[in-house]
Order: sequence, then structure tokens, then C-alpha cells
Amino acid sequence: MIDPTYLGQILVNGISVGCIYGLIGIGFCVIYNASGIVNFAQGAFVMLGGMTAYLLIAKTGLPLLAAGVIATLVVAVLGVALERLVVRPLWDRNATMFVMILATLAAQIVVERAMLLMVGDQPKSIAVFTDLPPIRIGGVAIGYQLLWIIGVSVVLISALNAFFQRTLVGRAMRACAIDREAAALQGINVSGMLALSFALSAGLGAIAGFLVTPTQYTAYNVGTPFAISGFIAAIVGGFGRPLGAFLGGIILGVSQALAVVTFGSGMKNVAALSVLLLFLFFRPTGLLGTAK
Amino acid sequence: MLDVKQLSARYGHVEALHLIDLTVGANELVAVLGPNGAGKSTLLRSIMGLTSSSGRVTFAGTALPRRSASAIARRGVVLVPEGRGIFAPMTVAENLQLGAYQIGGGGAEFAARLQHVLSLFPRLKERLSQTAGSMSGGEQQMLAVGRALMAKPKLLMLDEPSLGLAPKVVAEIMETLGRLNAEGLPILLVEQKAPLALKFAHRAYVIANGRVAAEVNPREIKSYDELARYYFS
Repeated sequence: MIDPTYLGQILVNGISVGCIYGLIGIGFCVIYNASGIVNFAQGAFVMLGGMTAYLLIAKTGLPLLAAGVIATLVVAVLGVALERLVVRPLWDRNATMFVMILATLAAQIVVERAMLLMVGDQPKSIAVFTDLPPIRIGGVAIGYQLLWIIGVSVVLISALNAFFQRTLVGRAMRACAIDREAAALQGINVSGMLALSFALSAGLGAIAGFLVTPTQYTAYNVGTPFAISGFIAAIVGGFGRPLGAFLGGIILGVSQALAVVTFGSGMKNVAALSVLLLFLFFRPTGLLGTAK
Repeated sequence: MLDVKQLSARYGHVEALHLIDLTVGANELVAVLGPNGAGKSTLLRSIMGLTSSSGRVTFAGTALPRRSASAIARRGVVLVPEGRGIFAPMTVAENLQLGAYQIGGGGAEFAARLQHVLSLFPRLKERLSQTAGSMSGGEQQMLAVGRALMAKPKLLMLDEPSLGLAPKVVAEIMETLGRLNAEGLPILLVEQKAPLALKFAHRAYVIANGRVAAEVNPREIKSYDELARYYFS
């Protein structure tokens, strides 16, 4: 039988990494809702968030928080650039979903390779945000970085919820998700909303990358696994449902953590894909969603 | 105000509109009549830039952009589409606020417009916090018209507002449109139910097979058989 303390530790670690998957999954949802596009370059934003913060700290000596904020803004701008240079030209030509997926996957590869040329293939990391010994609750060690991840994720979810529910621009984005044509008929700049969705989504990915880098590392090629996990989180949550994606991320993170300690680290991806298959078989609409 | 010249539109190899000429003057209520599939909805969609078309559409003396519904809406040409296009999962209040998107959905001007719309459709007042999709068809149509009015349109276009609604509700909506027109709002109304549209219209175009089959003065129509002849021309 598994020691309850050990189980608690697994749950804490799983929730923490699940929050990261959730943020990436929300990024998928934000773009999908505004445009119907599944952006497979989402992982590149995560990698760029961690890597830009690392470069800012290593090359300019910027404080951690400033580096995180600047990295998020830089990646948000890069998100808009991706939208303008890759997505928009195809969108204007009414490209199919398949073409969009291929194009964004290609963009992910281009960004990865560019980063490889710029910084090499060695992993990079940044310091933990709070350099103190972990808090111990009933034998479960909770590192401060995990608290940062969970805390920032909860704040972001609440802020996003307020943005979509209470602001006019957020409502306009929801309107675009419901009926793009009707939204345009209200004078809403639908293509502007697409650019905004990429900025938001890229910013979320960058924050996820910035948060997770101290607990793991970042490298030119970390984006794809994160993108896959975020995509699964979005499907498990009900594609297009930000809160669902967040919950889906936590389910995924905890499942992976349980699989790693029970069956070994080689089973991490098996756990992720098993969760995906279980949902596709038994609840294809996801936790909160209606499949589109 | 609205001047449509030589407007043509195709869906693949099928010609949906052929060299349509049409005008809507200030304070006019102009009806577009015709059988199902005649091209009435395509006409409105082409004016709004939702369907690609050739020809020239000017409003208040300047050409409308050809492929940007949002830019056209910002010029004051507002369409209530067929099927209403309400945002069903959002509340009535949110729908109305989005109608006034161009003025930021708030402030004194917004409050005044909201009050005006709620005075025209008092039923919406009781439903402000209800999701739009949970209302009856008639109430949804009132919301669609109310939302369009929140934009303070310079020209209001409606695509089959009577579709699927009870006669009493249709009468109520049409009376309101007639009143708005009498107050000076130009309206272009696409409608299959000719007697209903002709009751309020100053002029009417009959469209058949994507072409203007006739331009008629409602007061000169002696029998609907006369109109039916154009329908099948």
C-alpha cells in the first residue's frame, strides 16, 4: 500500500505541473474560441517564456520579476507576429483546419530551430522565485516554487474569467467564439480579436514557461511535449472551455505523477495518452464542454 | 442614402445575383420581396460584405468596403440577419451591450440607447439577466432588432424578421419598425410575406432568379396575383 505522505507528495507535485498544463491548455482554448484555429505552436510560447527570461537574467542581469514580465510581453508580441505572418494569410484564404495545424506546427519547428542556433542545445534554468526550504505539512514537502505555480495559475484563471465575463472586449471575444459573423455585424473587429487571442495565448504560455523553468529546465525542444500535454488538457476539459482546460491539466498532471511513481518514469506519456483515450471513449465532450 | 448598382454575386458556378440596381432613400422603408431562393438574403449579405460580390454599393455618398462587415456596421449600416444571430449563451443585457460596441458599451449615451430600446420592447426589460437562447422565438427577434438599434443605425436592414414567429409577435415587431421608420430611420426589409411588408413599405422590389423583376408602389398593387406573376417571371 502507498504511504499516504508519499501519495500527498505525488498529488502536490501533480497539481503543480497540472497547473502548467492547464495554462497551456487555456492558451489553446483562447485562440480556438476566437478563431476556430488549433494552434500547435503553443509549446513554442512556453519555451520562449522560459528561455527569454533566462537570457534577460543571464545577459542583462535583470531581476527575476522584471525578466518574467518583459519575457511575457515579448512573447505576447511574438504571438501577434505569428498570427500576422503565418495564421492571418491562411485565415484570409479560408484555409482548412488541417492546413492551419500544419502551418502552426511548422512555425513551432522554425522557432525551435532558431532557438537552437541562438543558444545551443544545452538546457538552461533560472533560480527559484523564493529561495527558502520547503514548507512541510504532515510530512508533505511543498516547495515555494510549487506555491508560486499554483498561486499564479489561480490568479490568472480568476483574471481571465473576469476579463471574459466583465469587460466589453472579453465579451466581444466570447461573441466571436459563439458566432463570428454576428459579431462582425455588431462592428466588432473580428480579425483584431484574433490578434488579441494570440497575444493572450502567447502571454499565458510564456508565464507557464517562466513559472516551470526553475523546477525543471528549459531548452530549445521543450515546447512540443508541453504543447501535447496542454492540448490533451484542453480536450479533457472540453475544448474551448478555459476552466475545463485548467481542470483537465490538473487531472493530467496528477495522473502522470501517479504513473511515474507507480510504474516508473517511462510511463509518463502512457498515462497522458491513456487519460486522453479514456475521455475520448467515455466522455468525448470533455469535463465541461460540448464538442465542436 | 443606399445606392446599389450592378450588384452581382455567385456561389461557385451558380449566379445568385445578377446586376441588381436598388436604392433606399432617407426616411424610406423599402421592401425586397420574392420567392424562396430568389437571392434576397444574398443581396443583404453582399451589401454587408459577407458574400463576395461585384458592383458598387454606396452609402451616404461614399462607397462601402466590399469585404468587411464590421467596417460597414461602423458606418451605421446594420443588419439583423436571417436566424437573428443572437449570442444565445450570453445574457440579454450582454447582447444589447455588444450592439453598442462602437460606443464602448457604457456611459450616458449607452444608457439612453438602452432605455430607448427597452421602451420599444418592454419584454426585454424583464429578461435582461436571462440567457438569450432561453427566450421564445419572438423575444429573440425583439432582442435582435433591439441589439441592432443599440448601434443607433443610419440604415437598418432586416432579413425575414417574421420567419417562424406567431402572427401576433410579427405584428408587434412590424408596428415597431413602422414607428421607427416614421421617426426617420431608413429601413431595407427583406420579407417573403408580401402583404405584411407592403403594408409598411413606401416602395418594393420584387426579386426572382437573382434579378430585379419589378419595382412596385405598394399603393398601386391591386391584387397579389399581380405580384405572383413577377415571382415566377
